[in-house]
Amino acid sequence: MGLNAGRFPIPNSRFPTSGEFVFATAQYESGDWDSAPLVPPNLIDSVARYTSLPVAPTGAIVSLASDDLFRFPLVFLTGHLPVRFTEGERANVRRFADRGGMLFVDDHNHDIDGAFHKTATEELTRAVGPLSKLPNTHSIYSAFFKFPDGPPNTSHELNGWGDNLVHSHLLAARRGDRIAVLYSNKDYSSEWGYHPDNKRFLSIDNTKFGVNVIVYALTR
Amino acid sequence: MAALGVLLWRAIRPPAANGPAVAHGDLQSALVRWTVAPEAEMRVLLDAAPDPRTRDWLRALSRAGGSVRWSSSRPIGAAAVAAEPAAEPNGGTRVRLVSAAGEPVSVGDDAGAIDTLPRGGAAELQLAAVAGAVHASGATFTATTEARDSVVLRPVLVIGAAGWESKFTIAALEERGWRVASRVRVAPNVDVTHGPLGTMDTARYAAVIVLDSTAASSAAEIARYARSGGGVILSGGSARVGGFPLIAAGRVSARVAGVAGAVASAAPRTGLGGFPVASPGADAVVLESRDGVAMIAARRVDAGRVMQVGYDESWRWRMAGGDEAAAAHREWWSRLVAGVAYAPVVARSARVTGVDETPLASLVDALGPATRMDDRVAPRTDAALVTWILFTLFVASLLAEWTSRRLRGAR
Repeated sequence: MGLNAGRFPIPNSRFPTSGEFVFATAQYESGDWDSAPLVPPNLIDSVARYTSLPVAPTGAIVSLASDDLFRFPLVFLTGHLPVRFTEGERANVRRFADRGGMLFVDDHNHDIDGAFHKTATEELTRAVGPLSKLPNTHSIYSAFFKFPDGPPNTSHELNGWGDNLVHSHLLAARRGDRIAVLYSNKDYSSEWGYHPDNKRFLSIDNTKFGVNVIVYALTR
Repeated sequence: MAALGVLLWRAIRPPAANGPAVAHGDLQSALVRWTVAPEAEMRVLLDAAPDPRTRDWLRALSRAGGSVRWSSSRPIGAAAVAAEPAAEPNGGTRVRLVSAAGEPVSVGDDAGAIDTLPRGGAAELQLAAVAGAVHASGATFTATTEARDSVVLRPVLVIGAAGWESKFTIAALEERGWRVASRVRVAPNVDVTHGPLGTMDTARYAAVIVLDSTAASSAAEIARYARSGGGVILSGGSARVGGFPLIAAGRVSARVAGVAGAVASAAPRTGLGGFPVASPGADAVVLESRDGVAMIAARRVDAGRVMQVGYDESWRWRMAGGDEAAAAHREWWSRLVAGVAYAPVVARSARVTGVDETPLASLVDALGPATRMDDRVAPRTDAALVTWILFTLFVASLLAEWTSRRLRGAR
């Protein structure tokens, strides 16, 4: 289990104005969708820090079953607990992917055989099709920062926590040559779940791959 | 005996007097007769525009020394049809037709009917596939055409800042089959690029799409590209930056918001915000208006075309529109690009025959304008028909005479 499983205040939902990127977190009926409340502000800080993208200072929370989902073409989904989509959520996720949206799913459990992974991959397969390994040469790894070895490892993987594995690949479901669902077992939710001010204590900013995910979603 | 006498007289009579020979209905027999025995003056009474073969035959008779004039029993509708390859990657044929307003016109190809225009007039159809020739038929004409050429389509260059409009514009065009090169700005002096990038000229790109102000530094190059024949789309508020006002179709107005929820309606673009085109230039053509203000306008710039598209968040249409929104968004962007794209024509090697794109105009070209049928020139009764009637009467008389004699003997 990640380190940031505690409950933090969730920023109020907001809708994007023209040209402004809003980081959206998915709210779903089952599980603990709000398990990583510090990830959005941390990634928003990184996007503002490294890019010139107009980014909303606070994130949004959007229900997977709501039509508001289609206002946010990139949505982040995380949790520790089993995931079971409702019919409405499943239909919306399928439509979202077909329209060109991208769902970034991270297993906050960092547990390959755990409840989140099994249930989330099942649900995603039912909604958008099977997930397959994303090659480490994919353009998402060079969309902004360069990650020649593929997805960066997390401290939780290197410390042997969770499933005691270093996951060499991310998984993805695609529409054409575009990623519709990006799935991670690496527990970025824990890796990025800290206050942005604390980046100054890091020798290397570990949220850079998060910037790549956002830039990829906005450019491809 | 009288019938026999008439037949003999018809056989030995001198040629007809100088009155014109008149034909109507099925002209085939008259054409054959006039070809074998040329008349000095020939008139045809038409119910509809003749097919090209008949028209050419009449023209040949006219060129051979005879005088061929035509009249019509009812007004023959003027009509024209043309087909050309659409400048879109998935092929298709663009058919433009115009006919006398009010007369219904059916459009089809060699495989069958495609569409009907109940009141005629002008129309443009984009057909994904066409079997053989395209026909436009009304009560008094059948116009036929066939696309004679194909086009060469080069990649489209998209320039913009990282954002949903850039992403979904690129996606829409790629999904529609366009080859897309993109230059998307993510940070100062940092662009994410994709596809073939290089000098901006018509040998490399069919069109350039400018989505926002990030292309300001390339405005001069893009303007030069347009003047040399390239197609440029200035989207959103991009037309007001750099040197773009010099080639834009009009000024850029203040941004207007879309109607909330309208992207899922039957008029989805009313739900999109954007920058209206103010004061379109005298040489600009307004292609789409909303509430009286132009949202899309285009103009020619030397050899090229520039289209100013006010909408700056078409991605909302694709994401939040109705069931067909994604496909409609793709088609809309593709047609915008096709409208300006530099697409050099390559003639097909096969020779196209049998087209008749302007039946009435071609008839006038062949025989001159219609003439009034002079009342004194009543259609001459067909001589062959008279001969057959007389022959039948003659045979019937002989049969009656023979029967009469046989019956007399039986008594």
